[in-house]
Amino acid sequence: MKKSSRRNSSDGGLNITSMMDMMTIILVFLLKNYATEDISVAPSDDLQIPISSAQKAPKLAVNVVVSRKDVTVDGEWVLDLEQGVDEETGDTEMMVPADDKRGQLISKLYDVLLEKAEAAKDLGQRTGNADFEFKGEVLLQCDRRLPFSVIREVMFTAGQAQFGNFRFVVIKGSG
Amino acid sequence: MGKSKRAGEAEDLNLVPIMNLVTILIPFLLMASSFVTLAAIDSTLPAIGAPPEENVDDDEEKLNLSIVITNEGWTIAGADAVLGSSEEGEDAGPTVPCSKPGCPGPDSYDRKELTRILGQIKDRFPDEENVILVPESEVPYEVLILTMDSTRDDPDTKEDGKARLLFPYVVIAGGAQ
Repeated sequence: MKKSSRRNSSDGGLNITSMMDMMTIILVFLLKNYATEDISVAPSDDLQIPISSAQKAPKLAVNVVVSRKDVTVDGEWVLDLEQGVDEETGDTEMMVPADDKRGQLISKLYDVLLEKAEAAKDLGQRTGNADFEFKGEVLLQCDRRLPFSVIREVMFTAGQAQFGNFRFVVIKGSG
Repeated sequence: MGKSKRAGEAEDLNLVPIMNLVTILIPFLLMASSFVTLAAIDSTLPAIGAPPEENVDDDEEKLNLSIVITNEGWTIAGADAVLGSSEEGEDAGPTVPCSKPGCPGPDSYDRKELTRILGQIKDRFPDEENVILVPESEVPYEVLILTMDSTRDDPDTKEDGKARLLFPYVVIAGGAQ
């Protein structure tokens, strides 16, 4: 009697309890992984962020992304990079188009960053809060294969637009 | 017998609505979850104009540690002298040469050796925390990050359970044109 009733109940429908267990574990795992960071990256073939042993958490700032294709500031496209031949080494490398440069200064990027700097200063003055004060911080997300010449031009331009504190965004790893 | 069966039925919860809820939550959380953790390395440009006068003490030996990154390796210079080059003059090679000629990738840079040499410098100048990086134009960005990692701390030497800090404050100079 006992045996047959147990069999009947198990035949009755799907046993959903084990699935619930699984779902609960997945839910807890995903909640733990929930993104609480201030910044996010969208890695692609053109933007491979280097891995580093740095431990410092990134803080929110003006976000300059330099991929192998283009330069964007806070998600807005600014200019395209092009493939060019390095005069010294003769290698093909990514570089800022000569039309967009005045010496080392990237004109379009300078205009955008200067606007951002003015807006940030204005905000700092209006609120009078130390948290909103303009500190000239800029987050740099660069592709790991880019030559330093491109990075230097971006840094120089940012420096001219009053952004002097750089934070290089890297992926936390063993380095 | 019949009574016990009824008690068993009463315990059975209807889990289907909870299942529905969880199934909706999972794709939502999957989208919002991040599996890579990001970090940031702080750096500044060399100050434009005159540096602030900070109790200039002539007796104190200033290090001015700088590392030139080329596609041959790292050259360490400090206190107006290039380190490690036994020959005087322009032809002296880099202090820490690459394992392969031309440094085809970041792996060919000998970061262990650089960290070891910097550890010795840190022994002589325990208060110094700044390093100036001078990369050449063609050096890839990842080598720059690798150099910052190697100069920041020494994971093989522990101090109070943490990796020993070497030169965590990085200034990036314009580099050789």
